[in-house]
Amino acid sequence: MMKQTKFLISVVITAAAVIMSCSGEAEQKAEVTLEWWQFWTDPAIKPAIETMVADYEAANPNVKINLSDLTWANGHEKIVVAFSSGTAPDIIELGSDWVAEFSSADQLADITKDVLSDTALYNGWSPGIYNDRIYAFPWILGTRVLFVNRELMKRAGFGESFLPINWPQLKELCYKIDSLSDDIYGFGSNAAEKHRLYKKFLPFLWASDGRIISKNGKYAVFASEKSYNALKFYKELSDSCSMVDTQRRLEDAFLTSKVGVIISGDWLLKRIKNENIQLNFTTTLIPGPEYPGKSFAGGEYLAVSTTSPNKAEALRFIRHVTGRENQLLFCKANYSASPSDKQAAEDEFFKGDVNLQTFIKQLNMSRMTPATPRWVYVEDVIESALEEVLFNDAPVAESLYEANKKIKELIFQ
Amino acid sequence: MRSRHFAGYLFASPWVLTFLIFWLFPLLYSLCLGFTDYRLLKPTYNWVGFSNFAALFSDRAFLESLKNTFIFVIGTIPFTTAIALFLALLIEKKFPGRTLFRSGFFMPSITAMVVIALIFTNLYSRGGYIYLMAEMLGLSPPENGFLLSSKTALFSVMAMDIWMSVGYYMLLFLAGLKSIPGELYEAAEVAGAGTLRKFFSITLPLLKPVTLFIIVINTIKSFQVFVEIFVMTKGKYGSSTAVYFIYETGLNRFEFGHASAAAYILFLIIAVFSIVQFGLLRQRGIR
Repeated sequence: MMKQTKFLISVVITAAAVIMSCSGEAEQKAEVTLEWWQFWTDPAIKPAIETMVADYEAANPNVKINLSDLTWANGHEKIVVAFSSGTAPDIIELGSDWVAEFSSADQLADITKDVLSDTALYNGWSPGIYNDRIYAFPWILGTRVLFVNRELMKRAGFGESFLPINWPQLKELCYKIDSLSDDIYGFGSNAAEKHRLYKKFLPFLWASDGRIISKNGKYAVFASEKSYNALKFYKELSDSCSMVDTQRRLEDAFLTSKVGVIISGDWLLKRIKNENIQLNFTTTLIPGPEYPGKSFAGGEYLAVSTTSPNKAEALRFIRHVTGRENQLLFCKANYSASPSDKQAAEDEFFKGDVNLQTFIKQLNMSRMTPATPRWVYVEDVIESALEEVLFNDAPVAESLYEANKKIKELIFQ
Repeated sequence: MRSRHFAGYLFASPWVLTFLIFWLFPLLYSLCLGFTDYRLLKPTYNWVGFSNFAALFSDRAFLESLKNTFIFVIGTIPFTTAIALFLALLIEKKFPGRTLFRSGFFMPSITAMVVIALIFTNLYSRGGYIYLMAEMLGLSPPENGFLLSSKTALFSVMAMDIWMSVGYYMLLFLAGLKSIPGELYEAAEVAGAGTLRKFFSITLPLLKPVTLFIIVINTIKSFQVFVEIFVMTKGKYGSSTAVYFIYETGLNRFEFGHASAAAYILFLIIAVFSIVQFGLLRQRGIR
């Protein structure tokens, strides 16, 4: 009896000691290291990214964030290889048109349950959704607007306050600027670079209510009358009054008053500001056949890889980065106007700048590319068709038909 | 005896291992991939037999790139070889400033292809020197520059390639010319042979081994043209070549099965061409 009592007491003491030691461990959180791959290497923005990381680490001493930089030149390839070899980081920044490719291959964690309550607070969810599930959190969005050189516009006989609001007015403006002199062009049309030209054509297609892939993602609908009209108009502009060159050279020409009208993003505003370029210009919404038009929108998304052992912590960090304060920190550093947070877009920083306001307005009148797994390759097909029409004078209808066939194959691959 | 063999194998092993791991294994592995539908991010892949090869022969992009590759090979090799020989004959003679010319002609061959391609991209663009010169000569160059037109893009790249390559082949021809005994020319002069006769009866026949070497390596190099296309046109405007197609398919679209099949088709074409070239020139007495 005595022996049994001693035994019971020792068991109770041991169990209590074990329980107490366990609770001690629970109080002291386990060390977590998160790998984050991102694309912002610009010296103006990188410090903002590093601040976000440092703030998070300070608030969560058990978490260490390892930051790795990617470049747009080969980032996609590196991400594909990382996912294929099972070496993907915990958190990854993705272009809006890449999310479906990786979510359809089961490489991104389904975060639907965790972010459902956020959907009303943020813009730009559609590229992060695949098969009705959410795989990526919208971070920084981007759109394109029309940049107009006021000086050339005035010389071409237009009033100070004139801004084109539909295609006929845009055409007239470009034609008149183009006729000013032999070395001045009306419009800047992209060429010789991948993933540029189609983004300049899409505003014309979107504004015509044309589509490339049907809403349900099952059919290729690029060969349509709407696409035909949009491409014919773009070709007219390109053939008769355009400088055809790379985006950077078109922007150089715009900044030196050699091109009157170009389509560009907020990086051009940043360039004008940082380089202190004295230019009488304005920004306006991209016109459609009738007012209002539509623009192309894309953006940066943050996702958690399925192989991450720390998914919950990774998502917490994503919330930190995409939080209102950090979005504003980013936009101020980048001089851009594209936070995904709806409230952040209301900040005084944007209200006080007429050009940033144009971007915010345009973002509300823009369309994102469809969430299709093979979209990156669909882009190639669209660009090839555009180049055939614009630079080889291929028939518009035939080129659209051929492209549509290829897009159909890609959808079903 | 056995230990001597062992030492030999040991010394050879670094190269042999490198060859096996980094050359032979990838070669055989890519051959196997050519018979599968392997694509990165696709969880599984299947054996598809010859369907990748069959699909390539109905793929307009591949056929177009093959056609462009042949145009590149046929359009550059005769010019490169002829100009290189002509320059070698000029440079061989002693004249003031010969070293300067020799260095000048050779310089492009030792300059990085990417650098030259970038320079020529600017020269060919609207407002570039070549574009302006063409305008001055009344040649009406393409509206948006030579590289943005399917009528001129490929030919512009070919012209640059000829300009870049001739220096290297000129040097090979020079070495060949040095090896021709001077007595042969003296004897021909005594017999009353003129410059042309000496060239066709002595110089050209005795340069055949060098010519064969130049043609074969230039053929292989031209079939593999890639960097120029990648930098200058990105395969656009009707300038895509076979290797660029393989790059696009394999490393951009990650369709490794398809890309491997295309790579082996190109390999077979190069092999057949090399064998035919050796055969033809052997028939004409070159050993």
